[in-house]
Amino acid sequence: MHIVIIGNSAAGLAAARTVRKVAAGAQITVISDEPGPAYARCLIPEVLAGSRDLPGIGYVGADFYRQYGIELLAGQTVTSLDVEKRELTTANGRSIGYDRLLLATGASPVAPDWPGADLPGVFTLRKADQAAAAGRWARDCASAVVAGGGLVSLKAAYALKERGLPEVTVVVKSPHVLIKQLDAQSAALVEKELAKTGIKFVYGVEPVAAVKGPQGAVQAVELADGRRLPAGLVMVGKGVRPNVELARRAGGRVDKGIVVDDNLATSLPGVYAAGDCIEVTDMLTGDKTTSGLWTLAVEQGRCAGYNLAGLPGSYPPPLTRLNAAQFGALPFISAGDVRGGDETAVYQDGGVYRKVCFRDGRLVGFIMVGKVDRAGVYTALIKQARHIAGRLKDKVAGGTVTGADIVYSRTVPVR
Amino acid sequence: MQEVLVDKERCLGCRSCELACAVAHSASKTLLGAVGEAKKPLKRIFVHQTEAGKIPLNCRHCAEAPCIDACIAGAMHRTAEGVVTNTGGPAECTGCWMCVMVCPYGVIRSEIAQRLAVKCDRECLDEAGEPACVRACQTRALKYVEVDDFSREKRERFLISLKS
Repeated sequence: MHIVIIGNSAAGLAAARTVRKVAAGAQITVISDEPGPAYARCLIPEVLAGSRDLPGIGYVGADFYRQYGIELLAGQTVTSLDVEKRELTTANGRSIGYDRLLLATGASPVAPDWPGADLPGVFTLRKADQAAAAGRWARDCASAVVAGGGLVSLKAAYALKERGLPEVTVVVKSPHVLIKQLDAQSAALVEKELAKTGIKFVYGVEPVAAVKGPQGAVQAVELADGRRLPAGLVMVGKGVRPNVELARRAGGRVDKGIVVDDNLATSLPGVYAAGDCIEVTDMLTGDKTTSGLWTLAVEQGRCAGYNLAGLPGSYPPPLTRLNAAQFGALPFISAGDVRGGDETAVYQDGGVYRKVCFRDGRLVGFIMVGKVDRAGVYTALIKQARHIAGRLKDKVAGGTVTGADIVYSRTVPVR
Repeated sequence: MQEVLVDKERCLGCRSCELACAVAHSASKTLLGAVGEAKKPLKRIFVHQTEAGKIPLNCRHCAEAPCIDACIAGAMHRTAEGVVTNTGGPAECTGCWMCVMVCPYGVIRSEIAQRLAVKCDRECLDEAGEPACVRACQTRALKYVEVDDFSREKRERFLISLKS
């Protein structure tokens, strides 16, 4: 059996590993439009910062592909898919047949629609080569503007500061940074930590144009309110869109991402999909949404791997909000719905902040800043969707719940 | 594979396991030495008080470990012996706390200044191959056994997995 996987990152690799584990004899081919072996995509800000090179963010050992018997076709773009013949074609004209196919095609940054967005010096941050190119460009810059207040944008701003740029300004349309992950108080702590490095913030306004300088490259960013910020480099972090074109052109169902069933099978025969390219159902809201998290991509890749190998297994609706990071000396974790809910408990003491959100007696979200130990117990409580009351609720609200509390209450009936 | 199993009926909460774990992960490997070390040795097992009594909890080295899935650096991995650890693998831990965020047992520590997740790594086995926490347990609340040896009924007495 020949299993072909398009994509050499979180989902693709987890699938390949799983197939090898459960179908020792399968032929596995991984095709990637990126050059070289897999790297830790979430660490590319370190390449931008110049603190690590590309080999320094390697995700697998040098021997991985040989050890797992995986043929890696790197630097090759798949251009079309013939699902009748079970064959795909690459940009250099090569045809590759398959028995089962996994689309782990990932996502691409949303490009800005403002004039000048294509000027030299305007970057997005998704791939290692973009990080390296932006890093090289940054060497000659005195100033940078980062558009967007999401996690990738903040990591980029932090990295540019680490690079030594004197002036880095983050332009955020929302009233505070990390609007999807944090509330105003916790975002203020994160902003304060970032500001210590000299990063500046502008809120409530969006860039409308990148302004060309005398050398033909970007020299400033114009904001909607008419202000101009000097910018030898512009980093745009406006989110990502699933890469669905291959599936769409082959006739597969696509909505917010590639549509898959419980077994991660697409509407195309023999074709599965996993990772940032698919649409999932959020376990809390029941809404269809994009996936877009490394950890979900790995889970899905593994699930897809079983299905590819002919061992059916279903993928339950995931928690689609799940982020952890640290800036400076300040760690933070955010999971689930941190603004909804009908009851919240908040604790703040200096640089430590914790918020837990309940809905209908169930934990639906939490924010932890400054101290993050045992956050996973809270994540588990959200996933279990268990009714929480009495002493357990006090502990959850008070930040003292431990793994032992939830393990124990699994072993006795809970009223 | 061998696992540390917990018989919750037997734990008195003496915290000998915590102490032994910290000592085993110290530079000197002795209690007296560990007390004086500049870098405070860190325990990776935690005795928790619950409504029903005390439970010592450490990494379960899960078969499908959420911490491995979540590790964005590729540092968290499973060794050939089945140990889940973020050291000595294909990549270095960067202290992103993704593993802390997903571990349902809450047994991965965040060493914020060091940017290092700290967890049970089984770097504490004695000549007989027994972990320090198990060796130190005076009531045999902790046992190190081949999990396959356990019948279903016996397993239920023990703490093995949130899923089981």
